[in-house]
Amino acid sequence: MRKNGVLFTQKRMKHIQSSAAVICFLIMIFPLYWLFSSSLKTEASIFSRPPEIFPLHPTFDAYVSQLQQVTFDIMGSFKNSLLISFCTMVISVVLAVPAAYGLARFRLKGKNLIVFLFLVSQMLPQIFTLIPNFIIFKKIGIYNTYWAPILSNCTLAIPFSLMMMRTFFVGIPREIDEAARIDGCNAFQSFTRVMLPMSANGLAVTFVFSFLFGYQDMMYSLTYVTDSSMWPVTTGIYNVVGRYGIEWCRAMAFGCMAVVPVILIFVFMQKYIVQGLTAGAVKG
Amino acid sequence: MRRSDKVGYWFVVPAFLFMAMFMFYPVIYNGILSVQHVDVMTLLAEEKEFVFLGNYLKAFQDKMFWNALKNTFIFTIGSIAFQFGIGFFLAVLFNRESRSFKFMRAVMMVPYIMPATVSAILFKFIFNVSGGIANEAMLALGLIKQPVEWLLTGKTAMISVIIGNIWCGIPFNMILLSSGLAGIPTELYESAILDGANIFQKFFYITVPQLRSSIEAILVLGFVYTFRCFEMIYVMTGGGPANGTELLTLLSYRSSFMEFNFSQGAAVANILFLILFAVGLFYTKMLGREDAE
Repeated sequence: MRKNGVLFTQKRMKHIQSSAAVICFLIMIFPLYWLFSSSLKTEASIFSRPPEIFPLHPTFDAYVSQLQQVTFDIMGSFKNSLLISFCTMVISVVLAVPAAYGLARFRLKGKNLIVFLFLVSQMLPQIFTLIPNFIIFKKIGIYNTYWAPILSNCTLAIPFSLMMMRTFFVGIPREIDEAARIDGCNAFQSFTRVMLPMSANGLAVTFVFSFLFGYQDMMYSLTYVTDSSMWPVTTGIYNVVGRYGIEWCRAMAFGCMAVVPVILIFVFMQKYIVQGLTAGAVKG
Repeated sequence: MRRSDKVGYWFVVPAFLFMAMFMFYPVIYNGILSVQHVDVMTLLAEEKEFVFLGNYLKAFQDKMFWNALKNTFIFTIGSIAFQFGIGFFLAVLFNRESRSFKFMRAVMMVPYIMPATVSAILFKFIFNVSGGIANEAMLALGLIKQPVEWLLTGKTAMISVIIGNIWCGIPFNMILLSSGLAGIPTELYESAILDGANIFQKFFYITVPQLRSSIEAILVLGFVYTFRCFEMIYVMTGGGPANGTELLTLLSYRSSFMEFNFSQGAAVANILFLILFAVGLFYTKMLGREDAE
């Protein structure tokens, strides 16, 4: 009898948990839904009262008019975003992954100091390098080129990737490395042929996150690039919407378009995003 | 040192050089800038006027600096308290390994990887006076009697940006705590149930102590990430109205890139950095302690 009672309450607890979870889920994703549903409205229905929770007459007009406007080249800005994110990703991975291996495997002088410097770099506010790099970029002549935002993004992505991969490499037993060396591999071969394939998972996380670092940035391009034809989507959206103010439905349509690449990455790379968040953050 | 270890430098040096050029040197350069007088006229000049701590003194004498410092702390503490509280609650609530729960957990991460610029514009729309859903929802629920001009007065604008930032930050807290929760052995709970522990006792005597290191890391990192927040506010309010949401980051940006007083901006950024550095040092000490354990 008593046992049934316990089971009963446990079952009821589960139901309560499920309903509470669904409610919280809906509240959490409501802003996302609102972004999407508002993009399907007309400016008139955005201001209708009571608000239309579901668009009564969904339309893609906002997308069409936003894409057809001539003040800012949206498709061009997507190309810029992809270019900036891609270069950020490649440079960061190429530099950070070997460094992570070096710092995980070898006894180097000043290793702790280097690790500490990278750890601190992760914590630096963007604004902190924004000013000096503004002057440095002007001096070395990459101000107002794609390189300025790309290299700046790398200063964020490299420490993150390095710390992430270092944890990964530390987790691979040293014996595997040594076995490869005994078999006649040199350090570089053992790194590329043995270590990299074994840490494919971590590599995927590194790729995803350094791409995202590149994609999310708005400030660097806004500050270092004056030519709006080289702006990524984020800077474009800020300038078009934030500064001049346009119709909300078009702003939301632009926002939805800007989120599409993120959603795609998310759908295909979800597992790695969770891993990156946990591995990269907890052990810094 | 063993000969074979020397090869390790080849792996580290490229990344180190890159960071030295675009991160470590700028950090030092920032320090130099902050004791000089550099504006748009002297930006690329060879000789710059040395003013020692003048820029710092000017910052400390400026009402706007103290306003920004206060705002930064309000924003940070307000954001973290709720991000962490809600994130923790959601992590516990969603701690079940079923397909639907996994799906919901995954979708809730999207706000975290979305560009902050988009989230900021979305929340600007949500808190808009006319057509904004925040007002409509609160009116419908009876929380407010008449529409609030959220982004048009300092205090309510601060609340709005904090809410926007909370939304973006919850997934980070939730995911980290979720993975921490998944690591707690179920036997602990089972034996606690046998001992007759209730749900609160289980939470405070098992969950919290078991998650201690995750909680510490989240709070410190959350502090750092929130303290240096920039884009969210820059896009949502631009620091206004009447500097009501101006954080140290925005003040530094405004000094440098709108008033073109680069050295003043650098001084403010340095102060911001020193505060973060203290927290970071505390955090690395903490990690070191745990590694030693």
